[in-house]
This record gives sequence, C-alpha cells and structure tokens, in this order.
Amino acid sequence: MAASVPSVQEKWTGKVREVTLGALPADGGTRGRTVTVGGENTLPFLHFEGEVPHRPAIAIEIWDHPPEDWSPILLEAWGDVLQDVGAWAKKAEEVGADLIALTLDSAHPEKGNTSGEQARATVRKVLEATTLPLIVYGPGQVDKDNEVLVAVAEEAAGERVALGNCEEGNYRTIVAAALAHGHLVIGKTPIDVNLAKQLNILISDMRLDLDRILMDPTTGALGYGLEYTYSVMERLKLAALMGDSMTQQPMIVTTGFEAWRAKEARVNEGVPAEWGDWTKRSLLWETITTMALLEAGANIVVMRHPEAVKKIRQVIDKLMTKA
Amino acid sequence: MGLSGLAIYKLLPKTNCKECGFPTCLAFAMKLAARQVELSACPYVSDEAKAVLDAASAPPIRLVKVGPEERKVEVGNETVLFRHEKTFYHPPGFFYRLKDDEPADAFAARLEAVANYGVERVGIELKADGIALQSAAGSADAFGERAAQVVSAGLPLVLIADDPQVMEAGLKAAQGMAPLIYAANAENWETMASLAAQYGAPLAVFGEGLETLAELTEKIKGKGVEDMVLDPGTRGWSDSLAAFTQLRRLAIKKNYRPLGYPIIAFPGEGTEDELEEALLAGQYVAKYAGFIVMDHFDPASLYPLLTLRQNIYTDPQKPIQVSPGLYEIGKPTPESPLLVTTNFSLTYFSVAGEVEGSGIPAWLLVADSEGMSVLTAWAAGKFDAERIAKAVKSMGVAEKVAHRKIIIPGYVSSISGELEDELPDWEILVGPREAINIPSFLKQFAA
Amino acid sequence: MPAQQVVYVERGALLQEAIEAAGIPLALPCGGQGRCGRCIVVVQEGQVRRRSVARLTPQEVEQGYALACQTLVEGDLVVYVPPQEERIVRLEVGLAAEKEAPEVVVCEHEQAPWVAKCHLKVDPPSLADNTTDFERLQRELVRQHGITGLVASLPIMRKLAGALRAEDWEVTAVVEKGTWASSQGPPRLVDIRPGDTTEHTLGLAIDIGTTTNVVYLVDLQSKALLGRASAYNGQISCGEDVISRIIYSQRPGGLEHLQQLVLNTLNGLIDELLAAHGASPEDVYFATVAGNPTMIHLFLGLDPRHIRLEPHIPTVNHPPPVRAGELGLRIHPEATVDCLPGVGAYVGADITAGVLRSRMSEEEPITLFIDVGTNGELVLGNKDWLISCACSAGPAFEGSGVVSGMRATVGAIQEVWINPQTFEPTYETIGNAPPKGICGSGMISLLGEMFITGVIDKSGHVNRSLDTPRVREGPGGGEYVVAWAAETEDKKRDIVLTEVDIQNLLRAKAAIYAGMNVLATSVGLELEDIERILIGGAFGKYIDIEKAIEIGLLPDMPWDRFAYLGNTSVQGAYLCLLCPEHRAMVREIASKMTYLELSADNSFMNAFTSALFLPHTDLEQFPSVREKLRNVERLGGS
Ligand code: SF4
Repeated sequence: MAASVPSVQEKWTGKVREVTLGALPADGGTRGRTVTVGGENTLPFLHFEGEVPHRPAIAIEIWDHPPEDWSPILLEAWGDVLQDVGAWAKKAEEVGADLIALTLDSAHPEKGNTSGEQARATVRKVLEATTLPLIVYGPGQVDKDNEVLVAVAEEAAGERVALGNCEEGNYRTIVAAALAHGHLVIGKTPIDVNLAKQLNILISDMRLDLDRILMDPTTGALGYGLEYTYSVMERLKLAALMGDSMTQQPMIVTTGFEAWRAKEARVNEGVPAEWGDWTKRSLLWETITTMALLEAGANIVVMRHPEAVKKIRQVIDKLMTKA
Repeated sequence: MGLSGLAIYKLLPKTNCKECGFPTCLAFAMKLAARQVELSACPYVSDEAKAVLDAASAPPIRLVKVGPEERKVEVGNETVLFRHEKTFYHPPGFFYRLKDDEPADAFAARLEAVANYGVERVGIELKADGIALQSAAGSADAFGERAAQVVSAGLPLVLIADDPQVMEAGLKAAQGMAPLIYAANAENWETMASLAAQYGAPLAVFGEGLETLAELTEKIKGKGVEDMVLDPGTRGWSDSLAAFTQLRRLAIKKNYRPLGYPIIAFPGEGTEDELEEALLAGQYVAKYAGFIVMDHFDPASLYPLLTLRQNIYTDPQKPIQVSPGLYEIGKPTPESPLLVTTNFSLTYFSVAGEVEGSGIPAWLLVADSEGMSVLTAWAAGKFDAERIAKAVKSMGVAEKVAHRKIIIPGYVSSISGELEDELPDWEILVGPREAINIPSFLKQFAA
Repeated sequence: MPAQQVVYVERGALLQEAIEAAGIPLALPCGGQGRCGRCIVVVQEGQVRRRSVARLTPQEVEQGYALACQTLVEGDLVVYVPPQEERIVRLEVGLAAEKEAPEVVVCEHEQAPWVAKCHLKVDPPSLADNTTDFERLQRELVRQHGITGLVASLPIMRKLAGALRAEDWEVTAVVEKGTWASSQGPPRLVDIRPGDTTEHTLGLAIDIGTTTNVVYLVDLQSKALLGRASAYNGQISCGEDVISRIIYSQRPGGLEHLQQLVLNTLNGLIDELLAAHGASPEDVYFATVAGNPTMIHLFLGLDPRHIRLEPHIPTVNHPPPVRAGELGLRIHPEATVDCLPGVGAYVGADITAGVLRSRMSEEEPITLFIDVGTNGELVLGNKDWLISCACSAGPAFEGSGVVSGMRATVGAIQEVWINPQTFEPTYETIGNAPPKGICGSGMISLLGEMFITGVIDKSGHVNRSLDTPRVREGPGGGEYVVAWAAETEDKKRDIVLTEVDIQNLLRAKAAIYAGMNVLATSVGLELEDIERILIGGAFGKYIDIEKAIEIGLLPDMPWDRFAYLGNTSVQGAYLCLLCPEHRAMVREIASKMTYLELSADNSFMNAFTSALFLPHTDLEQFPSVREKLRNVERLGGS
C-alpha cells in the first residue's frame, strides 16, 4: 500500500523583483561584472516549488579609513590592507566578495568630517581597484550622508552603485541623486514590515524605478534581536510572494557589522569559559547570523571576516543545489 | 489551526453566566481559540459541542517526550509554519553522539562535558540536552553498559542501533527514562515497534522519501505505537530544507496525520567540516527539527547555537523591546546631552536614529517601560517619574554624565514636577514631542 | 433668476469655459478636476460629452446634470447654471457621502418615564378626618393615580404641610416610581408643589465627554426634546485626555477640583437651557448620565487611579442612583442622577448608550459601531454577540490638541478643497461665518485634500518644494495655511495645519482603523464581512464619508453601508431618561459586551503602524482612493 501524500507546493502569485548592481562598459559603467539579485518566486531555497534564479550575493564591508574600534580578530584577518581603501577592496575581491560595500566613515562630523571631494576621490580609487559593483554608505549622519552621497553619485555616474541609507525622514536628496546619475538606493527601516513597505512607496512615489530599490530591514545579530529581523524578513518575503508589489524589493542585511558589535565577538576578557574559543565563536557569531537571515530571505549579506565569507559562500553553494 | 473565536462561541451556551471566570461566553471562546484555557472550565458545554471542539484542538504535530522528567526534552505540538504567526513552542533538543566502542576514559570525559555544560544568557540557563548513544561494536552488552552510564548521569538518551537485540539491551538499561529509539526502518519496523510498545519508548522512523515514511508510520501506529519521530533520510542543506518544510506543511496545513510527528536531524552527517556542522544545525533550529544529533561537542559552537534556539523560540507576540540601559549615540563625552525614552524598539530606533542623524553625540537612557511606546507606557503608568528616576539611579548615569540635565519626551511634560521631586539634583528639560524635531532641539541645546 | 446669456465657444471646449465666457461666476474649488462636484449645471438641450460623472447618479445624468469642468461642448446647447447656494444645497441633500445626523431617536415603547407629576385635589382634614398630611397624600395617590406605598425623604416631608395648604389642598406631587436599582418601587416623593404645575416636568440627558459635554433638556410628559447645549469640559485645563485627568486627580485636592470643574460646566449648560425655557432648577426631576468610566468616576468623585494601572479596575461599572443634591448638580436636589452602566476600564456608559441608540444589539446584520471621541471606542456584533475595544485616538477630531482646532460651532471650517495646480484652498465654514478654526470634519476634509493634491506625502510630511506661499516652515516644522489672518474672524492669526497636527491626526485615524481591524480579526471576521458601520461622535452636523475613506479613517466600502448618528452617547441617555425598558436594555448590553484589551499583544501595534500612512500602507485595501490618485496624476496634479 503506497501512501499518497498530499502535495504541499504553494502556488505563489508574486515574486521578488530583480535588481542589478553595477554596470558594464557597454551600459555606461566600468564594472567587470554585474550582480543581479532577487527574482525568486518561492521562499528561500525551496527549489521544489519555484525558481531561485540568482544566488544571494555577499558584499564585503570596507572603510575609507582604518577602523579603530573593530575587533582585533578582524584587524588581524585583514592586516595591512586596512590602511589603504584600494588595497582593501582588491583583497576583498580576492577572498570571494561579489560586491564591495564601502562605508565613508571618515565623513562623520566626529570622525574626521571629510568632504564630498574626499568621498569622490575614495570612490574613484575603489572603482579603479576592483571590478566589482559597489554599495556606498554615508557616515550615518543626515547632513553628511546627503553631502557625500550626492558627490559619490556624480563621481560614479552610470555605475549603478547602491547608495545607502535612505530613511523615512531623509530620502529625498539621495533618491534625487540616484535618479539623476543612474544609481540604486537602499531604504533602511527599523525592523518593521509596514515601515519597510512605506519607505518603498515613498521612494517610488519620487518616480525611482522599483528595480533600483533595495530594502534593509535593520539587522539584529544573534542574541541581539536576530529573531525580530528574521520574522520581519519572513513576513516581507511572504507578502512579496503573495503579490504585494511594495514588498518585493530584494533585501540587504548588514550581518558583519551587527555580529561584530556583539560582546561575544568583540571581547574575550572576563567572559565565561562556556563561551568557548574566541575566534571560533566570533566566526560562528557572524556566520550563524548570516545563515539565519539568508534562510529568512536575505538577497545581499554585508559581511566582515574573510573566513566567514568563505563559509557562507560554501553554504550558499549547497543551498543553491537542487535536491 | 482550529476554529475562530466566533465559531467556538456559536457552540457555547451563550448565557454569559461567568462561571468559567470570564465575563462573557465570547470572551471565553476567544481564549479557547487562542489555546489559553481548557474547555472544561465551562461546566455547561454540550457533549456535541465538546466533540467538535476537541477534534479541532488536537495538535497537528504530536508532542513527544524523551528523557527523565527532570531533564525531559519535549518537542512537537507546533501549530504554525512561521514563528510570527503565533510562536514556536518546543525548542529542539541538542543531543551529542557518543559511540559505545569509545575507550572508557574518553567516553566518561565527553559524557561529563555534555552533562555539565550550562551557561546563563539573559537570565535563562542554557544546557546541552542529552546523549545520542550509537552502537558501533554491535554488542548488546557494550551498548547496555554505556546506556546505563548515560542514565546515571541523568541525561536523556537517543539510542542508535539497527539490531533489535542490541537496542533491547539499551532499553533495558534505560527503563523509565523514555529514551528515543533510533530507528525503525522498512526491514526492522515490526520488532522495533514491539520494543517501543514494550518499553513505552518513543520510536524514530527512518524512511527515504515521504511516501515510504508515511507508509511506515501508519503500519507502526497499527501496532499501537503512538509516539514517533521522523527521519526522512535527507542529510544536506537544501534537501533537508525541502523535506522538513514539506513535513511541517503537511502537518500544519493539511493536518496530515501519518506525518504529524517531530523530526530528527543529523547535521554531522551532512558535512565533514565542524564549523559547517554547527551552521547546518542552525538551519535545523530555524527550520523545523525537534531533535538535533551533533557529532562535535564544543562550547564555542554550542553557545551560539543555544543562543540561536533561544532567539527563534522567543514569543514574537510580545512587543519588540531593546534592553534598558544607557546607550551611547556617537561618541558622547560627560558633557553631552542626556535624553530618556522607553524601551519599545520602534521608539528607541526613531529616537536613536534622529539623535544619530543630528550628528550631536548624546547619551540615551532607555528606561524599562515593558516594551511600550512613550504614550502607551505613560498611559499605563509604566513611564512615570518613579521609573525614570529608577533608570537614572540604576544605570550609572551619574558616573558617565558630568552635568545634571535630563531631557524627557515632550509627550510626558506633565511628569516633570514629579520627576524633580524624585531627582532633586537634576534639572528636568522637556524635549520635543515628535522624534523628528529632536535634531533641531539638540542643535539649539548645544548652541 | 439668473440672466439669459448667449456665448459662442469652439466645439470641444469645456462647459466651464463657456460659462466663464458668459461672465457667470462659477467656483471650481477642486481645481476643475471633477472631484468636488461644486460646478454642477443642467444641460437642457444639445449634445455634450461627459469625461467624468463623478458625484452624479445615473438618473441625474439622465436628467441632464453635468459637471461643468468635466463636460465638453459638442454642439449648440442650452445650459442652466444654478446659483451657488442652490448647488451647495443640492450637494448636501444629494450625496450619500455626507450624512446628517439626527438629534434624537424616537422611543417606540409605550412606557412612561420613571418620574411623573401627579396633580391632586386632596380633601382637607377635619376633626372627623384627622389622618396626617402624609397619609392623606398617600391615600389620594392611591385613589387618583393608583400609586401605592409612597415614601418621602425628610426635606420633602418638611415642605408637605405648607404645600398642601398653600393653594387650598390642590397640589402637584412629583413621584418617582422607581429606578433601575429598585424597579418595583417603592415610589418616592421627589417634590410636592402647591397648585397645578404639571406643565414643567423636566429631565436631563447628559453626556460627559472627555472633551465635550452635552446636555439635553427634555419634557418628561410630552417626551419632547426642548433644547440642547454643549461646551468644552472644564477639566480640559487639567489635561486633554483621560490619563492626564487621572494623573491630575492624584494631586492633593485634585479629584475634588476635577469634580467641581465638570459640575461647573454642566451647571452652566443647565442654567443656559433652563433660562431659555423659562424653567427653574426645581423643575428638573431626573437626569441620566453617560460618559466614559473616567469621566463618570470624576463626576461622582470616585478615585479613578486604578482605571489607569494594571489590571485596570474601575471602582464600579454601574453606579447606584444618587441624589442631585449630594452631588451638586444644579437641578432639584431630590432628583435622581442615574449614571448608565459601563463595561470595563475603557469602555463605559457612553458606549453602552451608543449601542442602545444604534440598535445594533437588536438586529441581525453584523454591525460596527464607532464612537469617535478622545478615546475611540469600537463595538462589533449583532443581536447575538458584542465585542468592544478602546483605542486612544486623542482629541484631534474634536478639535483639541491641534493648533487651529475648534469644536463644530459657528465659524469652524468644515469642508476644504485644494486646487491641485495652485494649491489654493476653498473652504466652507459652519454658518458661513468668517473662519475661526477647523473642526473635526474640516480636518478630515483638509487632510484628505492635502494628501490627494500632494501637499503632503503619504507619511504626512509637507512637501516643501511646492511653489506656493501656502506651504511654509513654521515653528514646529512644515505647515499649510488654510486661511490668512485677514480672512479670519479676529484677523489675528493664520489658520494652519502643521506637521505635528498631521501626525496627531494620523495617529488618531490609525488607532481607529487599526482597532477595527483587530476587533474583526479577533473573532475571525474580515472587514468586508461588516454589513454596516454606524458612527457616533462629536463631528457636528455631518461627517464626510468620502474624505474619511480618503485618509483611511474608515474602510473603503460602498457609502450606503455607513450612517452617521451624531452624539450617540447623549441620545442613548435620552432614551434611558424616557423609557424604563430602554434603561433595562442598556444594562443587558453592558452585561453581554465582551471587552478586548488591545495592548495585550503585537497585533494592534502592527495594524496601527500599517494604518499610520495615507491612506494605508496597503493601498489595495483602498481601491477607490487608488483610483482617485491615478486620476489626479493623469490630470496633472503634482
Ligand atoms: S461558563 Fe460557559 S456558559 Fe458560563 S459564561 Fe463561561 S462559557 Fe458561557
């Protein structure tokens, strides 16, 4: 007697929008390759019921000046390249990045207050050092974000750089810059399905095409709100698959930044022996955070440690293999 | 999921007699729908209604218990596919595999390491759950002996052996400990089923493919065994994800009884790499395993995995909170302004975001408002002078901040008087009502 | 009669252009977009092409009605352009979107009120008949009115001897036959007056709102509503919402002060009404009172603190009847003041009274009743079940807590249209007086227009890049000027709506919409399953359903499913004043109503955040608004 097991394949009506970062020379850019994410019409890696045409992309985060407060484990892993943003970008490409995520941290008023001109020079340098598409983040202070991102948008005109972050109270300038110079934007909202959707609507109301918007739902690291991000992403992904157009933007999460902020990754002094070996624990902190969010629907993960990147690359390979 | 509140209400007496402890039958019905009360609390339900309601409330995934009462691992009884839909109730157990042919010393040492592992995280003690004892020698005696050793350590057991005789030795040693038998398969299912029945132990069932598995569980059920655990035979990343997802959907969405049991997973059989084993175990935590058998014990991987499990199995219906404390926005100095707000995450994020966006470094004191926003917390008395004062005193604010000025949200300006009484050394300043006005406020303040 | 005019225009021209050419004034408040329907004309002869028939019924189109801004000239025409006033009147009577609320509902029960005046001629005592005055009165009441077992309090007993003898043993006895707490009596002598004074047997129905207090003066004999008066609750100076009041009540003397303030407000209204009807406080013998639990507690001088604190326990849900004299309400001191029953800490007598008034608990259709007040309360159900919740909406829709807000009285801007090209507004005030401020209906209308014309984005932020002096940076962020100071009544201040006001309004509307969603979901229903929506609240004469949908306050449903009932709380109190049977029904309503605590889990927060957008994060829930946005875009708005 063969049991007849009912089918549980879902017939999703929607799919995640395809978004391409970077532009080849033929399309007005200078990149060696482009990276397209999104396009899936099923939940993450469920090949039995739908298509996952593009693998999630790994971006490696680099800074425009040596980061003082990073964990010694990270500083050691990168070594000298931290001193030079171009070298760092090149090394990131070598260790397996699909994208370079450049943070213009030195533009922050408290950290150097460098100018738009400086930002142009930095971006030029990174564009020359790597063939990968770019994500560029401002320092996270409204006025400086607007200043340096507008400069970057002009400098890198036509490169389809993802500019971040747009937030509900401050999106117009960055969106206008992206519109004028052929870039993408990242809309970041604080761990809430509705706010994520609202920002997508506000941005697209400015007539930026939806295939040029990424959404960052705000990342919580393992042990520090991971579950909130996880569920918000699952809900956004489900809504997208159910055909809700304004939730169909690919999602980007900054797992490296958040995981390495956790005490478990940052320090080893005075911590319980039960936490185990520091390096291994830190690597797992970054990779488990990343893995969990990939399975919740992340399309781009922004990471920090080269070993962690390598592991996640292997995991993605396996998850992309059809059973 | 079961019936809606209204559907249940229609089956109740509708007399609003209040004997169940609720003011109305509808209130009681809604609690029933949310599975927060037992039907028996109403003395007046008709038999007919009882039958309907009982059937609707039977769990789609059977609750299976392994181990002695004090350290039991209970899994199953899940009602949703995604944690946001309700919550995940029963976190998976981590079982470490030991083989019965290991030298005695090594065996004892590893057993002890697992048994004694315990670490606190946010006030909760995290532990490894048990041992999966595998017969490698094929000897009943060795298996029984080692099982007894695990039993005396008080740990729950998964017994792994194909040979029914060997299995029985283990079961004998673990009488009354409800060990999980791994596993019945197409060949041995009859004897394994009778062992399970005889020893009152739950039975894992191995079958490649869901059809085979469903067939086996039906046959075993026919032998009177109710407590089963499923192993669909997948070991890698994407095949397990697909299989486990289908199993969960079959139970929850189709109420398909033959596969309405918890799942067992073996991440160490999916990869050689130790780090990857931990990652794969992470997938199983998030995606539907009930028992996870690990091959490598290492606190450096167990701790993050237990943390992940704690995260995933947190009740998502509670408002998102940030932990109360004194937060640094930017790099504040002792002279930087000090603001206070509540620990509802959206409130925190919008305030912190605006402060950060202003470019003026500041101290942000997050008081415990039990996850409520400023207005709601204030309305419920959870963000009042007393609580704010308590936060100021308990978070070491006075050590980090040199001045004595605290900025409160504009919406609670009415408490400034009381707050002055509570904090006589402090000057209470009323900030803007809306977070969007914080940057201009801070700029004026700093000027 | 408008004059006859002949003009020549090209084929394909808009009627509006022809009318302009003829020199006839024709206002286009919405900027000629066919949205407001103010430019309605009648095509009596000839061919036209209507681009849009928005706001016209098929019958009206049949009869030749057309919107001048949306209708093209196809040939020779005879067109009638009605005068402005006529067009507005037609809109007010003709549009389902704008519904006027009745002031009272008629009680169809045949029961008499609790209090009646009994005119008596009493046989004078003699040596042969030396029964006491009181027994004599009792005897006559049995004989002439069938009232047995009369009791009286000492103060009335003191009046008795004098009253009986003052007009030669002709008296009027005011008898209360019972109250809800003693429905079988015994009857109580409330007053005794010399002579026949039956023409003045008055009662009051009172609604104590957090923001607005309303008093109805009612003739208990004829059941007629004699007059109404309303004013802001004097407690507002101690806080705008119930929570602030509760906090204030905890100060030394705070509770007494708050009680005095509301009594002052009510006594002022009572004096005003009595003066207008030539009656005295002594003529008022019964009062029913509705209000939310906090207001009732403060009115009675009960400590409300535990309403606020978990687990939110009021002192009493159904207070016993009290004497006006003990309370300090300026009516007959022996009169009963009867507070209607509430359900719990945040659903009170205002809601049970509202449900009574709405009749939803007597009928089959699944009905949602909304009381839009400072606390937005919602009740869902029908004759079998009722479930309610409260969501703190804030006082914005009552005109409080908003810079230019006011109550719905003369001079309040109640309707606004904004021209999408110039961003110039056209408004209408209550009583057509120079504007003083904006009332709730006006704010709904204004917010809707600002949104549809792009003055604000969907999250309520003012678009500062617009080229108009109407949009500017104010002290608390961006703002929009509805009326320049020169146009206003006191010529002092521009009437504006600020970003902070908008956030306030958004929160208010989001709380109510989210409440609806959660309430429906809690019993397993969808919003579409709701067969009708009855709205109560202090909006004044009407609520513009269309605009309320536009901003996402009300769900996008056919307009005929909505009805606006006005102040349902006072109307329910009025029914209870007149009819003991209604009084029993309101008790039944209170006992069967289930209360849903919204803060218990995340679902309300989620629904709230998603409603905190214009009209809503999920535009699919508002197809008619989506359509409107498309049209505005097509017609070249910003
Ligand atoms: S005990 Fe039963 S009949 Fe009585 S109120 Fe509760 S549910 Fe209704």
